[in-house]
Amino acid sequence: MVNGQSIIYHAEQEILKLPAKLDYKLVLLKNHEDNIILRDNKVEKLLRATSLSLAINLYLDGRDGFFYTNDLRPESVSAFIKEAYETTRLLEPDETRTLADPDRYYKGGGPDLQNFDATLAEIDPQEKIKLLRDTAKEVEGADKRIISMQTRYMDRQHQAHYLISNGFDASEQSGYCTLTSIISVEGEGGQHPMDGWGETRLFFSQMPRQGIAPTALKRTLQKIGQRPAPSGRYRMILESPCAGNFLQPLLNAMNGQALQQKTSFLLGKLGQQVVSPLVNIVDDPLIPGTRGASLFDYDGVATQRRKLFTEGCLMTYFIDTPMGRKLGMAPTTQGIHHLIMEQGTRSKEEVIADSSRAILITDFNGGNCDPVTGNFSYGIEGFLIEQGIITQPVSGMNITGNMLDVWQRLSLIANDADPWETELIPTLAFEDVAFGGC
Amino acid sequence: MTSKKTLSNSPLKGEETKPQVSPLRGDLVGSVLTAALSGGSDYADVFVEDTRISSMVLQDGKVSQAQQVCLYGAGIRAVKGTETGYAYTMDLSEEALMKAAKSLTPAVSPIPSKGEKKQSPTKTNGGAALSWQFTPSLEGTGEAIQSLPPAQVRQLLLQVEEKARALDASVIKVKAYISQRMQEVQFASSDGTAFHDFRPRTSLSVNIVMERGGQTQMGFASRMLQMGAEFFSETLLNEVVGEAIQQTDFLFSASQIEGGELPVVMAAGSSGILLHEAIGHAFEADFIRTGDSIFTGQLGKQICNPSISIVDDGTLPNDAGMLRFDDEGIPGQRTVLVDKGRLNSFLYDRISARHFGVEPTGNGRRESFRCMPIPRMRSTYMLPGEAKEDDIIRSVKRGIYAQSFTNGQVQIGAGDFTFFMKTGYLIEDGKLTKPLRDLNIIGNGPEALRRISMVGDNLRIDHSASMCGKEGQKVAVSQGLPTVLIDKLIVG
Repeated sequence: MVNGQSIIYHAEQEILKLPAKLDYKLVLLKNHEDNIILRDNKVEKLLRATSLSLAINLYLDGRDGFFYTNDLRPESVSAFIKEAYETTRLLEPDETRTLADPDRYYKGGGPDLQNFDATLAEIDPQEKIKLLRDTAKEVEGADKRIISMQTRYMDRQHQAHYLISNGFDASEQSGYCTLTSIISVEGEGGQHPMDGWGETRLFFSQMPRQGIAPTALKRTLQKIGQRPAPSGRYRMILESPCAGNFLQPLLNAMNGQALQQKTSFLLGKLGQQVVSPLVNIVDDPLIPGTRGASLFDYDGVATQRRKLFTEGCLMTYFIDTPMGRKLGMAPTTQGIHHLIMEQGTRSKEEVIADSSRAILITDFNGGNCDPVTGNFSYGIEGFLIEQGIITQPVSGMNITGNMLDVWQRLSLIANDADPWETELIPTLAFEDVAFGGC
Repeated sequence: MTSKKTLSNSPLKGEETKPQVSPLRGDLVGSVLTAALSGGSDYADVFVEDTRISSMVLQDGKVSQAQQVCLYGAGIRAVKGTETGYAYTMDLSEEALMKAAKSLTPAVSPIPSKGEKKQSPTKTNGGAALSWQFTPSLEGTGEAIQSLPPAQVRQLLLQVEEKARALDASVIKVKAYISQRMQEVQFASSDGTAFHDFRPRTSLSVNIVMERGGQTQMGFASRMLQMGAEFFSETLLNEVVGEAIQQTDFLFSASQIEGGELPVVMAAGSSGILLHEAIGHAFEADFIRTGDSIFTGQLGKQICNPSISIVDDGTLPNDAGMLRFDDEGIPGQRTVLVDKGRLNSFLYDRISARHFGVEPTGNGRRESFRCMPIPRMRSTYMLPGEAKEDDIIRSVKRGIYAQSFTNGQVQIGAGDFTFFMKTGYLIEDGKLTKPLRDLNIIGNGPEALRRISMVGDNLRIDHSASMCGKEGQKVAVSQGLPTVLIDKLIVG
């Protein structure tokens, strides 16, 4: 195998030999993955691999080409760069497409983000298989209705070395591991309800040794007898693990590309109150020991704590260097790293108990949101709540509305965000949402 | 289908894409497969890939962005029963391949459970004793392995902008994307199978933004086929740009409706997403093997109206789902899933086929050498019936005519599926009336099949750029449907 560290400098030398002077960004990526699936106490699948690849951006007088290869034989890299140069030359100049201002680059001295477990790739796979067996054993024979149970372990180590021609040379690393249990059971009318539960940690030693499979089984059994509830307007309670999905269209609409292409329902709304005043969200990439923590973004720009929404007001857009120039705005960052929504004081259970007629959504099933208008329609499943009590599992229902309209009707924020996620969004309640069912 | 007529004002000549690597020698294959089998596996294979993707983007009237991607590596698999060990490497040297093959041992020799004896390696007829003939399957691909040079791609993209603005003065933004992909594959397995294939894939996608009276709307259209330079034609450009403009224009007058249960007429073509989500995934035999699918145990049973026959086809020329060989070396074929209402076959890869004692159906596919093959669809469509579309619409008192779609999803166990209708119409008293948009349609697979009461005579295969995701792997598929009436679905 080629020497990982040397190939990036080999690529740089090849770029410097080209007949024109170019700006460039080189990123050498090294990833290790372990992926193991246990079914019926047998290792159904085991995948182990380490990969090395090189991403190249070439900038030639406003022409911008992106190139990626994992054929890192020195002669292949040389040929690949020549071809990349020829392609870049053919493009039309666009003066906005340049590297970031070096003043904005990360200059070093940041904290240890404590998000890289160097041992992940070294741990014997048999130890990971044992973790899977122990997890599966927790529900062995626990319920006759179990049809199949799959327990999955996955870990990733990510290391990257950045070399940018206007003065950036830095490395970053991160990793995580995930343990998941997925169970299907005999349901009613020939249905096989399936659900799961998973936990993610940054270090193998942090992984919970119990509770994952029992939670998965409990969630699956609760789904037996799912059917649509009557169409109508209900309080919508979004359970924490899936509440983040409902925020995603807002984050997409903050993207500079969408704004510049006029395909964002948040166009022209900076500084305005666009969602409920209860909403306070920040992106904080600099908290050690959290997922998504990073000292700089893909452009080498130093990260910082950034307010996204304050009391419902839109505080920023995600604007990189080219989009900043196109839009005549100061660049910010490319997107979120570690998002935190300010939590309330009540538990999910208290929110449910406080609801006279509501539907608790535990998962989305298909659907879409129009990026220009914000009109959405999503399939959902979960539970009908009547007088504060869960009375029926539901599925085969849709929610419809407009993103900004529904987010204005946010009425309660619970306190149960999972600290191990990249987006910390607790359970949320919205009033008077349209549900389509039977 | 795309016409093969070339652009009259700009004759397009492809440039030959040379076969890039031939790293597999018969003796090396023997050593690698023997090493992969050494942990006690009863089957092993090696999949070598060299894929080149080049794409260009038109935005703001300029073609100022390009991408080129090279994916190069080998995946080695060892199987024992239903247990699979998998490793991949981007280094195709003998040393690296052997190291990857030997690393598979722990997967198929897991820690024995209490009371379980560790099994000794199974004897096989694999290994160096067999010889592997890598016969290139280039028949029919000679023209297709010509790719279009970047300078001509740029010209085509500029024409897209020109055509879009000429069609409608309210166009404010045009974004277009052309991607050309050539995948070279070499495959060998311990049962003596070997093939060497070239798989071209080219696509054109067009996004249009229009502004009228302070309102903005965005529409989209695309095409994707297994072709090279001959993919492009004046007709193709006109079709795709025209469709994108038409959809955007439609959205200005369309609205959402309150949810509820309604009859749904699925228009011919991209409505094939119904089959993909409602039954296709649940017919994938890995879900049958584990018992998760709602169709488990239904083989041979009558599951819907005898007027309905559904196939999954890997033999449609140039179709995105066409496979001369699947990614496990099984020859491309057409599989009848539902024959006159009876469940005839599931979609089998090698592992599930062996589990059920049947022949694999050529549905073992993978996104790249980094992934294990699993059962996947190819081109899934319903055979035409006898009804006329007008009669189908006329039979509906109040319902939905669903015309174009963006995405879908299914829950394998419960059978609940959804697909997202981008454009369509309300049907009132047998006539198309109010234009509709952005509706999620929900049903239950087996139930929706049973509720299909009319099948049209107008089957159309949709060739939009359609990628299907499963277990984190994306593969190209297509789908088709004649106009059908489903008596009741949840629309919202």
